[in-house]
Amino acid sequence: MLTIKGLCASIDGKDILKGIDLHVKPGEIHAIMGPNGSGKSTLSSVLAGRETFEVTGGEVLYEGVELLKLDPEERARMGIFLGFQYPVEIPGVSNVNFMKTAINEKRKFQNLPPMTAAEFLKLMREKMAVVEMDNSFSSRGVNVGFSGGEKKRNEIFQMAMLEPKLAILDETDSGLDIDALRIVAAGVNKLKTKDNSFIIITHYQRLLDYIIPDVVHVLYDGRIIKTAGKELALEVEERGYDWLINAN
Amino acid sequence: MGLKVKYAPEIPEVFKCRVPLAGTGQVYLMNGTLREPYRDSSGVVVNAGEEAGFVINVPDGVSQEGSVQLISIRDSENTEEISFSNHIKLGAGSSSSFLICTHTLTLDEFVTESNISINAEENSSSHIVVMQNEHNKSTHKINFQINLGKGSFVRVNIVTLHGALLENSIEASLNGEGALCELNGIYLADGNQQINTKVVMKHMVPHCNSSQLFKGILDNEAKASFSGRIVVAKDAQKTEAYQSNHNLLLSRKAKVYAQPQLEIYADDVRCSHGATSGRLDENALFYMRSRGIGAVEAKLLQQIAFVYDVLEKIDNYELRGRLQDMVESRLRGEFSHCANCSMNCC
Repeated sequence: MLTIKGLCASIDGKDILKGIDLHVKPGEIHAIMGPNGSGKSTLSSVLAGRETFEVTGGEVLYEGVELLKLDPEERARMGIFLGFQYPVEIPGVSNVNFMKTAINEKRKFQNLPPMTAAEFLKLMREKMAVVEMDNSFSSRGVNVGFSGGEKKRNEIFQMAMLEPKLAILDETDSGLDIDALRIVAAGVNKLKTKDNSFIIITHYQRLLDYIIPDVVHVLYDGRIIKTAGKELALEVEERGYDWLINAN
Repeated sequence: MGLKVKYAPEIPEVFKCRVPLAGTGQVYLMNGTLREPYRDSSGVVVNAGEEAGFVINVPDGVSQEGSVQLISIRDSENTEEISFSNHIKLGAGSSSSFLICTHTLTLDEFVTESNISINAEENSSSHIVVMQNEHNKSTHKINFQINLGKGSFVRVNIVTLHGALLENSIEASLNGEGALCELNGIYLADGNQQINTKVVMKHMVPHCNSSQLFKGILDNEAKASFSGRIVVAKDAQKTEAYQSNHNLLLSRKAKVYAQPQLEIYADDVRCSHGATSGRLDENALFYMRSRGIGAVEAKLLQQIAFVYDVLEKIDNYELRGRLQDMVESRLRGEFSHCANCSMNCC
């Protein structure tokens, strides 16, 4: 699904990623943990194509295609989804219109006709149920006036609508109370199949009580310093990061 | 008295606003001259003014059903510079709404000045929407003078879509306690177009409210200016007056001059003003692109979103929807005419 080799990236001349190697197979859930400033969000931004970061080295293959050459929208249409740590408010653009535009752009890319209004509404209703979202959300501006938890649920809803092959969730758990966390996690688990993959970026082990990762990586200073099974998350929760950092 | 009232000849068949809004009567003004007098079922009367222009009378206590659409057209029948005055009397306790559209039919270098005085008597309420869509060679200045009496409410929403040099000047004077004046506007300009807005909001007596919200999107080498002054007289205590002006610049050569001014002589008032100019939000663009929406479409969605709250101030749902469509096609660069007209207006 995804192979990252020696990925380096910088912003304003400052090196953030200093050689990342990562291999994600279909059906796998990878968790990336690490202290603040280690490069977690940068990695997700670079994978989704944010232009504020400059890729200074390495390569990324997604389904055999060189990902770094593609525009963000092309990556999205090919099945990559980034769940934002801070979802953006877009007043004046309703959730319905936003998703309809996104879905139809993807369908155009897949040489499919646009969805009919009835098909689209049915899909909306179905996917809103996945994250227990109220129907009234659909006519509201994207994320406008949403609480932190509602914004994150909206991210999962959008993910459910777009059915990505590779979803990268950037600190989706930050700022969530326990109920919202459970809803978000249940959403991810419902969408999980043997063919799609998730990269879950998180600060805390908490989310990983609900979404069980196959592989856990610890990122520090732009490099992955430790990779292990799900038990690594528990160990980090107990012992912090220092023992790993000092061992390097 | 020697009143010289004259009416315009038949309007050219090529121009007809074909699908009027539900319940709206249409009145044409050709090169400043009214085509024919009009009276609606609720008693609202539109007559020709002395020399030129229109005179509207909304009788006391009348609740107008529907609305009157005034369509002001310039065409090659008269390419001289023209200036004319119009009057709207909003009778005590009346409620009414008007849509004023300005168009040019030919590519002549028209210069038009129209003065519109509005007299809002006690407890009257009126919503006035102005839609300007003129050719690239048209200069049009509209000067509003609005006098608001006790307890009256006047809301003016201006949607400026196209024209060479368009100037809208609005002076509102809140003369009776409890009056409320709301002025909102959108201006869209590209190429070498220029749109100037000037507002003077005068609070003359206590307990009046006013608000202004103007937003512009400028591309290429377009220019806009917004000069907004709020004056609060010495005795006009408990005034609430707000003003905001926001601009989106799509190119490095587009320019906007914003000049908010407050002149406050009373000491127990709430006033604020804010003016910004900025570019498209990269963060929002990336968010939309990360969902598969192409860069061009994402930029467009953001522009539509930018002016959305101003259009929301138009409470006639059908009219708002139609203006939203026009704004969208204007921003898409597909705009040539109102969807319901047979003419290409720009």
